[in-house]
Amino acid sequence: MAVDLAARVETRTKLFNRVCLGVLIAFAVLWIGPVAWALDTALKPNAETTRTTWLIDNPTFDAFGRILNETDILRWFGSSLVIACLTATGTVFTASLAGFALSRLRFRFRRVLFWGILAGIMIPPQVLIVPQFREFDSLHLLNTFWAVSLPQIPTAVAVFIFLQFFDGLPRELEEVARMDGANFWRIYRRIVMPLARPAISAVAIFAFVTSWNDLLWPLVVLSNPDIMTIPVGLATVQGTFGIRYADTMASAILGAIPLVAVFLLFQRNIVEGIAGTGLKG
Amino acid sequence: MSDFTGSGAGLRRRDLLRGAAGLGAGAVLAGCSAPVLSGLGTGRESAGSLDFWNLFGGGDGVRMTEMLDGFRAAHPGTDLKAVTLAWGNPYYTKLSLATLGAKPPDVAVAHLTRAKTLIASGLLEQLPLDELARSGITPDKLDPTAWRAGLVDGKAYAIPLDTHPFVMFYNTDVCEKAGLLDSAGKLTSLDSAEKFTDAMRRAKQVTKTYGGVVSINGDSATPWRIFQSLYSQLGGQMLADDGAQVVIDRGKAMRVLTFLRSLTSSGLVPGGIDYQGAIATFANGQAGFYFQGEWEISTFQTAEMPFSMTLFPNVFGGGRYAVQADSHTLVIPKQPDTDPERRDRSLTLIKSLLDQSKTWAQGGHIPAWLPFRNSAAYRAMTPNSAYAAAAQGAVYDPQGWYSGSGSNFEIVTSNAVATVLGGQQQPGAALAQMRDQLLDLAGTPSPIEGGAR
Amino acid sequence: MSTTQTAVRPAAGASQPTPRPARADRHGLPAAGFLAPFLTLYLLFILGPAAYGLVMSFFDASLVQSGLGAFAGFGNYAEALRSADFWSSLWHTLWFTILTTPPLIVLALAFALLADRAARGRWFFRLAFFMPYILPSAVVALIWMFLYTPELGLLQNMLGHIGITAPNWLGDPDWAMPSLALTTLWWTLGFNFVLYLAGLQEIPRDLYEASAIDGAGPWQQIRRITVPLLGRTTTLVAVLQVIASLKVFDQMYIMTSGGPNFATRSLIEYVYDEGFTNYRIGYAAAVSMLFFLVVLTVSAIWFRIVRRGQKEI
Repeated sequence: MAVDLAARVETRTKLFNRVCLGVLIAFAVLWIGPVAWALDTALKPNAETTRTTWLIDNPTFDAFGRILNETDILRWFGSSLVIACLTATGTVFTASLAGFALSRLRFRFRRVLFWGILAGIMIPPQVLIVPQFREFDSLHLLNTFWAVSLPQIPTAVAVFIFLQFFDGLPRELEEVARMDGANFWRIYRRIVMPLARPAISAVAIFAFVTSWNDLLWPLVVLSNPDIMTIPVGLATVQGTFGIRYADTMASAILGAIPLVAVFLLFQRNIVEGIAGTGLKG
Repeated sequence: MSDFTGSGAGLRRRDLLRGAAGLGAGAVLAGCSAPVLSGLGTGRESAGSLDFWNLFGGGDGVRMTEMLDGFRAAHPGTDLKAVTLAWGNPYYTKLSLATLGAKPPDVAVAHLTRAKTLIASGLLEQLPLDELARSGITPDKLDPTAWRAGLVDGKAYAIPLDTHPFVMFYNTDVCEKAGLLDSAGKLTSLDSAEKFTDAMRRAKQVTKTYGGVVSINGDSATPWRIFQSLYSQLGGQMLADDGAQVVIDRGKAMRVLTFLRSLTSSGLVPGGIDYQGAIATFANGQAGFYFQGEWEISTFQTAEMPFSMTLFPNVFGGGRYAVQADSHTLVIPKQPDTDPERRDRSLTLIKSLLDQSKTWAQGGHIPAWLPFRNSAAYRAMTPNSAYAAAAQGAVYDPQGWYSGSGSNFEIVTSNAVATVLGGQQQPGAALAQMRDQLLDLAGTPSPIEGGAR
Repeated sequence: MSTTQTAVRPAAGASQPTPRPARADRHGLPAAGFLAPFLTLYLLFILGPAAYGLVMSFFDASLVQSGLGAFAGFGNYAEALRSADFWSSLWHTLWFTILTTPPLIVLALAFALLADRAARGRWFFRLAFFMPYILPSAVVALIWMFLYTPELGLLQNMLGHIGITAPNWLGDPDWAMPSLALTTLWWTLGFNFVLYLAGLQEIPRDLYEASAIDGAGPWQQIRRITVPLLGRTTTLVAVLQVIASLKVFDQMYIMTSGGPNFATRSLIEYVYDEGFTNYRIGYAAAVSMLFFLVVLTVSAIWFRIVRRGQKEI
C-alpha cells in the first residue's frame, strides 16, 4: 500500500514539476522580451523602426556606430568605471579596517561606535543630497569624480559584513602571531584579509554595481556631459534622439553591455554578492 | 549571511584576475586617457574648445545643428562641442548646477524670462556694450523690445536670438468658404470681441465641428498664453515688486475669462482637448483657427495643408497691440576663471548664430537680428513675415523667481484658466484660485533675493 | 540568511568571548588607527551632512546664495505640511509602494518555487530574471519608454493582437503610475527572486521526503511546508522592498519627469525640484527630513505587522 501511494505521489509530482517548468519558461521568455526587442530594434535602420515587427529587412550596426561617434558614451563608460572602482576599493578598504577593529580590538566607546555606525544604515542616502551638494560646493569638488565617490565609500552595511565575517574566523592563528610579536596591522594584512576573500568580493561587487547604477547623486553633482556617468548621460540625452528609435535602443544596449558582460562572466558571484549584501541594505 | 560568505562562493584569485583583465579592457575601450581622468581634477578643457548648450529638439534642433555646422565651417580652429539637453525645468536645473559646480558651458541658450532668474541669481556673465560692439553686436541691430526686456539695471546679460509670440493659424480654405478672406486673400480683421466670435461662428458653419481650437487639457502653458495675450491687451498686470506682490486686476481678468468661457460654452471652441489633439483638430480641417506659438509652423507645413498665420487678434487692445511672447536668448554663464580668448570665441559664436538668423527664422521664430529682419529676404518669407509686428507688442511673463516659461507661475495660471475654458469652474472661482495660489508663491521667501553669492 | 539577526540584535556578534578579561581600552591606539579612515569619511560625508541638513531645514537657505539665509524656525515644515504638492507627492510615493510591493513579493516567491522544482537550467532562469536588476535605471527607462510608445510600441501592438485596446501608458495620468510600477516589477523582481531561492536552499530536504511518505502532494507540500518556512525570508523581502519603493526617483525622473500633470512626482523628485530647480534648499532639506520620518515610520509599522503575522503562523 505504502509503496503504491508513494509511487502515485511520485508520478503526480513529476507531472506537477513539468507544468511548473512550462509556466516558468513562459515567464522567463516574457522577461527576456524587452531586452530582446531593444536589441532587435537597435539592429534595424531608423526608418524600419516604425513598423512593429521582429523581422529586420536590412540588419545593420549603423545605430551603434552613430551613438559611439555622436555621443560622449565612451567617456561616460570611462567615468563610470573610474568612479565605481574608486568606490569599490575605498569601501572594501575602510569597511574591512573598521570591521577588524570592531571584531578584534578592545577599546573604550566600542559599543557606542558600534551603535553609531549601525544607526547609519537607517539614513537613506537620498535624504542627504541637499546638504551634501552644499558641502561639495564649498569644497570646490563639484563635477569631479570625488564628489560622486566619497559619499558612497562609508557604507555601514559593509562594515557589518566584515565584522560578522571576522567574528566567524578562528583565532588560533592570530594568537600565535601575537605571541610572535606581530602587530594588528600585520595580522589584518597577512592573516585576516587573505581569508576574507568571500566577504571582500561580496562587498566589492555590491559597491561596484551600486555605484555604477546610481542616478540621483551623480545627476546632482555631475552636470557637465564631459564627465557624466552612464546612467546620468543616458538620462540627460534621452529625448534628443527624437524618433530615431534604433539609435535610442542602441544607446540603451551600449549602456547595458559593460555590466551585463561582467555579469555573464561572474554570474554566481554577483548574484550572491548582491543578494547577500542587499540583505543588510 | 553565513550561507553566502562562508560557503566558498566568493571570488577565487583566478576570477579576480579575469575580472581585472576585463575591467582593464573596458578602460582601454573607453579610450580613457586624459579626458576621462579630468574628472579627478578640477581643471578645464584644453585650449580652443567651446561648449555650447541648447534645449532644441525637433525642427528647431535640426536648424540649430545646421547653424552650428555653419560656425564650424567658418571657424575651423575652434573645437565647438554642442550639447542638447531635455527642454524645460531639467535644462535650467542642469545649467544652474553646472555653473555653481564651476563647469558651465561657454555659451548657452536661455529663454529670456528664465534668463532673468539666472541673472538675479548671479549665474550669468554681464556683457559690456563696448565688448559686444567689438564683436559686431550693437543694441541698434537687435529687436528693441526683446533687448530692453533682457536688461537688468541697464546692463546686458542676454542677447536675444528671436521673439516667439502667441499667434493665430488659420485654414485658408475654411476661411475662404466662410467669407473671411478679402479679394486679395487677406484675412478680415478679428480685432474685437464681436468680430472674433463672429469669425469663429462662421468658420464653424464651414467645418461643421469647431470654429477655433486651443490646447487646454494637461497643458501647463497654452491656457496662460491666450489669457495673458488678452489680459495684457487690456493693460492688465499680474505681479509687481519682482514677484513679491500679486496685482491682478479683477475687472480686466474677469472680462477675459468670461470672454474665453463664452467661446467654449457656445461650442465654437472645444473645452477639453490636449496639445496633440488641438493640432490634429486643426490639421484635419475640423477647426478654422488654431492658437499657439508660431513654432508649430513646421507641423502644418509638413502636413501640407492650406493654412496661413497672422497676429493673434487685438481683441481688447484698441490702439495698442499686445501679445504673450518669450525670446530665446544667448547667454554666457558665470565662468570660473577669466580667459579673454575663451570669451572671444564665445562672442564669435553668438555673433555667428545671429548672422544665421535666416535659417533660424524658418522655424517660425521672429528673428531679433534686425539686419536680417529688415531685409527683403525676410519679407519674402511667408507666412513668417506676416506676424513680425508681434515682436513690438511682445509681453513677457512678469518678473519673479517663480515666473517664466515652463515655471510654477505658468502652471498655476494655466490650471485656473483651463478650468474656466473647460467649464469646471466659474470665472470668479477660478480667479480666486489663481490669486490664492499666486499669493502662496509670492509669500514664499525668494531664494534669489539679495543677488549674487 | 542569519544576517538580519545580526542587524537586529547586533549584541550577539559583539559579545564574542575574549581570550582574556582585559581593560576596556587595551587597544585604544591601534583601534583609532583602524577606525580612522571609515569614521573620517562617515563623519564628513554622512553624519555631518545629516546634521547640516537638519540645521538647514530651519533656514530659508538658497542654492544660489552663500550661507544659510534668514532663520525660518519651523516655517519650512509648516509650509510643507500645508502644501498640496507635498501631500500629493507623498501620496504618489505611497501609491507606487502599494502598487509594487505585493506583486514583487508574490511573483518572486512564485517564480522561485517554480525554479526550485526545475531539475535543470536553473542558471537560465537566474539569468532571465536577475539580469534586468543589474541594468542601470536609465537603460531600463529607455527600453520601456519605447515599449510604451503609443501607436508603435510593442505592448500596444501585442495587446492589439489579442483584441485589447492599450491605454496611453505614460501619457494618461491614471495609467502612468501603474506603468512605472510594471516597469519596476520587471526591473527589480530578480533581486527578491534570488533571495527566495537562497531561502529555499535552507529548507531541509528530508521534510519533503517525510511528507511525501505521508502522501502529501506537491501543492500541499508548498502550502504546508515551503511557504511557512519561508516566513523569515518573506519578512526580509517585504521590508527591503517597501523601503526601496519609498525611495523611488529614477523611473519617474527619466520616464515621465513626474508628469503627466505631476501625477507621478515622487517625494524624492519633489525634493530635487524644490532644491535644485527652484533653488530652495532650506525647504528641500525640511522635506528631506519629513521623508526620513516617513521611511522610519513605515518601516517600523511594516516590521511590526509582518512580525505579528509571522507569530500567528
